[in-house]
Amino acid sequence: MKDIVKKLDRAFNPRSVAVVGDKREMDYMWLRSLANFQGRVYSVQIDEKELPGIKALGVKNYFSLLDIPEPVDYVIVAVPRAVAPRIIKECIDKKVGGVMLFTSGFAETNTEEGIRLQEIITEMAREADLNLIGPNCVGIFNPKIGLRHAEDQYYGDGGPVGFISQSGTHATFFSLVGALNGIKVSKSVSYGNAVILDCTDYMEYLAEDEDTKVIGMYIEGVRKGRQFFTSLREIAKRKPVLIWKGGQTEEGTRATASHTASLAESPLVWDALIKQCGAIKVDSLEEMVDTVKALLYLKPITGSRVGLCAMTGGQSVVITDAFAKAGLEIPLLTERSYQEFASFFTIIGSSYRNPLDISSNLMPMDNIIRCIDILNEDENVDSVILELSVAFLTRIARFIPIFFDELIDALALYKARANKPFLTILVSAHAETEAIEARQKLVERGIPSFPTFERGAKALKKVVEYYRFQSL
Amino acid sequence: MVVDEIISAARKEGRTYLTELESKQILKEAGINTTEIGLARTKEEVISLSREIGFPVALKIVSPDVLHKTDVGGVKLSLNSEEEVGKAFDEIISSIKAHEPTANIQGVSVQNMARPGTEVIIGMSKDPQFGPVLMFGLGGILVEVLKDVSFRIVPLTRRDAREMIKEIKGYPILEGYRGQEPANIAVLEEFLLKVSDFVERKPEIKELDINPIFAYSDGAMAVDARVILEAA
Repeated sequence: MKDIVKKLDRAFNPRSVAVVGDKREMDYMWLRSLANFQGRVYSVQIDEKELPGIKALGVKNYFSLLDIPEPVDYVIVAVPRAVAPRIIKECIDKKVGGVMLFTSGFAETNTEEGIRLQEIITEMAREADLNLIGPNCVGIFNPKIGLRHAEDQYYGDGGPVGFISQSGTHATFFSLVGALNGIKVSKSVSYGNAVILDCTDYMEYLAEDEDTKVIGMYIEGVRKGRQFFTSLREIAKRKPVLIWKGGQTEEGTRATASHTASLAESPLVWDALIKQCGAIKVDSLEEMVDTVKALLYLKPITGSRVGLCAMTGGQSVVITDAFAKAGLEIPLLTERSYQEFASFFTIIGSSYRNPLDISSNLMPMDNIIRCIDILNEDENVDSVILELSVAFLTRIARFIPIFFDELIDALALYKARANKPFLTILVSAHAETEAIEARQKLVERGIPSFPTFERGAKALKKVVEYYRFQSL
Repeated sequence: MVVDEIISAARKEGRTYLTELESKQILKEAGINTTEIGLARTKEEVISLSREIGFPVALKIVSPDVLHKTDVGGVKLSLNSEEEVGKAFDEIISSIKAHEPTANIQGVSVQNMARPGTEVIIGMSKDPQFGPVLMFGLGGILVEVLKDVSFRIVPLTRRDAREMIKEIKGYPILEGYRGQEPANIAVLEEFLLKVSDFVERKPEIKELDINPIFAYSDGAMAVDARVILEAA
């Protein structure tokens, strides 16, 4: 076992968890989030007023971590900041596997007291080699064992995506938004002020984690930058790593004497680092979700030629704009493909040059599949994109209620036999409610969908670039 | 080693800015091709050095106190004879004395005039998080206006060097746009790798600009350079 795995294994895969300082005021959010935890849960609370509420949740309470009659693998700390040093001391004495400080009010407040307390706990943890996560974070999410940091997160089955986030919000949102998009987390960690453990440690840990096939990161700043660079360079060769760098603005003006120093702004250096390591740059939660989805659901390709199939003329124009703008190519099809189209395709009100406008060919539904089959077979095409217009499909559903379900069945069969990456763009227009339902059905069948042409195009472009880099 | 001597001499004088002469001597040691350069303190030395290097030559003031040599009349280019060189030497010295009376003048550098080529820049600065970072771009005065540059973190692989050259928007110019002389990309890659290797070995160097480098189809030459040291 690698050192980093040995070091963090108990914290990420705990068999016993203690929550220190959970209270009614927070609706016992921590104990509640552990309702489906696969191991033992303990509470540590000294406030008598809180004890009945903890008891009502069926959790045994102790007055000190040291009173718990077994080793504690992972500790969640939600006490006021002034109490934090005392709890850290108990964690050290108890030899816990890891401790997560939900407690905030440290250096991030930029107050004398906050900075002082942070120095105290950092010094204590460093000296004792304590695995301190945070402070000012929500810590680990390991769905497989029901270790969560929010009650609305899933549990039971995990997924293939490891997520590392300096922010608690982004860790939570990635898990929830991801789930709606067919993306589940293997393990995630929100790590806040990173006084002891930093993103490099978590990245190195997840690189060794067998359940983790893709690593996503939200980073505001990094300590040990050189180690981060060296590790990322090595890890990105084994697993796709996506980096969303928060805080793109430059830290004031710097006095520099050379051209190079005046031009080497931090965001540009980050961009260079990501490129150089073969990692993938994303700039928002949406891009993170889209790109992870493309990595998980699209067959790996290095070719950038797309076959585009839109449901109306206007959309066939703008889908082309969007994919071209993202840096993808929209080639002419082979003569053979054009001959096949000529044998059945209604050209009045439609066209099949590439992009395809299939508005007059939506029925029978087999026509849609036939069109994307031809694109899949065409040797000028590397990947196939189909617009699903929820607005128009909803109209058809008025007289053929099962049309959409049958279409999804047919698309799932198509996807299973297609040898090229296939993605859909689920254009909702005004039919937003129906779009949510449609997306859910697509997710269930493993068919990736994107809400706009631009987002689909960007995600495809990013994975093409990723595979290209790795193939060279 | 010349580099360590230059650095310790600058340190002794409390300087962090190296002169062009010192910077080029350092680059030569790093394996970077630069113009032939020597220091002359007197008119006689200037003339004999010019003869040695071969006409045409350029003269530039060597003074740690003069940062923008051209602005104060400290540069004379394309000098074709001993007479021209002697006259230029006098003009430089009197111009510096007029503009910067307190400047410590070490002398005048004599260099051969490099044949013009496509101007590129290679530079290094230190990122507070990631350490030394190399920059590549179209050089000369264009670098400030167009900012058509790319970055990579040290140490560079050959692939990094190749990709950072290809990444700039002006890459077609290096390929020889519309019949212009193309730049030898392999040589530029080699420059980048040598600078990467060098700055990794010399943490005393804080910033570095080699600008311009004249890129030719059969090589490249550093025409001006500036090295800045870390504070002692």
